[in-house]
Amino acid sequence: MDVREQLYEHVPRLRRYARALVSNRELADDLVQDTLERALSRHTQFKAGTDLRAWLFTIMHNLFVNQVRKASARSAHVSIDDDDFEAADVAVPATQTNPLEVRDLDYALQRLPAGQREVVLLVGLEEMSYTDVAIALDIPIGTVMSRLSRGRERLRALMAGTRQDAKLKVVR
Amino acid sequence: MSDRNPTIGDDDLHAYVDGTLSGERRRDVEDAMERDPGLAARASDYFALNDMFHQRYDRILREPVPPSLRAPEPKRRWPSAANASRFAGLAAALVVGIGIGAFMQNGRLPAPLDTDGGATRTVSADGGAGFARAAAIAHVVYMPTVLRPANADADREADMTRWIAGQLGTERHAPMLTERGFALTGGRMLPGENGTIVEYMYRNADGERLTVCIAPRKTEAATTAFRLYEDGPVKVYYWADGRFSYAVSAGMAPARLLRVSHDVYAQATGTS
Repeated sequence: MDVREQLYEHVPRLRRYARALVSNRELADDLVQDTLERALSRHTQFKAGTDLRAWLFTIMHNLFVNQVRKASARSAHVSIDDDDFEAADVAVPATQTNPLEVRDLDYALQRLPAGQREVVLLVGLEEMSYTDVAIALDIPIGTVMSRLSRGRERLRALMAGTRQDAKLKVVR
Repeated sequence: MSDRNPTIGDDDLHAYVDGTLSGERRRDVEDAMERDPGLAARASDYFALNDMFHQRYDRILREPVPPSLRAPEPKRRWPSAANASRFAGLAAALVVGIGIGAFMQNGRLPAPLDTDGGATRTVSADGGAGFARAAAIAHVVYMPTVLRPANADADREADMTRWIAGQLGTERHAPMLTERGFALTGGRMLPGENGTIVEYMYRNADGERLTVCIAPRKTEAATTAFRLYEDGPVKVYYWADGRFSYAVSAGMAPARLLRVSHDVYAQATGTS
């Protein structure tokens, strides 16, 4: 079967990942659509026998990074990088009483730097191997591990919320 | 980072959570967690995070994919009898897919195949059944190209049918089914074997869809009886009358669909 037809089998998973990544339903589906369009226009570059899903995630990653770059030009709070994460961003609404609640997940994920969010989701939600994540995002495996570690720890702190704020300060 | 157990690093803990450690290394991590409740708590929270991702986002896998993200139709053609076999079951599959979303919303399951309405004929090789099957697929697959304007008054259905037929460039106006609760929502033209086929789409207040297809015939036919074609949940009544074949498709009980079909027939004979 032609790659151009096979693409569509991956749409549900691309949508799931995109929704977790950008939270907003319309923006997420726009990202999937852009991914499909780019994949269709470049389908000759896909190497037969390699992992189509990984290729699609790479395309989506490149589009996503461009979006984040554009957004960060407008807003100082959005960042692709790990290191300019403000400690104040860890603050979550004080109404939260239960740590690790699903309903806060969208919010908490959006408070992660984009690079960490991608790695945490590709590993935790898409269940990709660390090596596949490194290939898909075109980063060294060491960077995958450090983003995973920081991302999960920050997410854990965010989800635990103010209740245990002191105890769960981001561990470095 | 835990420095209370120097042999277990961050990477080990994550690899443990993600299930990529060898058996031996896994036991090392488990031993370390027994000695260090902080390490155990972190692992437990990381597991919980992965679970939450699935709890929160797996539902998207079951959502119907929006039209903009679906594969384009290979050919925007009327599915002819010749290639209908490769579409066989498609209408049923698609309607089941759409049905799940729709039915889940009001908490009901799709009704099983209806067996009480008129006799179901075996699908034979005659062109009529091919036409009916193509109509069933068209009912499921195609969107209108000409849409009823959103602000069109419900009581000006006759103007609407004229306007849509004019936009499509056909003299075959849509039958008016307002007495059955169905309002015209749009239409499209499809290339068929014997010339252009007109497809009209309707919807009622409950959101049920209904499609009428009018296809030109090669040879003039005496009026035939209504025949029922079923493709899973999609039911089609079809017949020939003079220079045209008609098909009325919907996902409803045949007895109800038959009443609508009688209306379509009565209006078609009245105007042709």
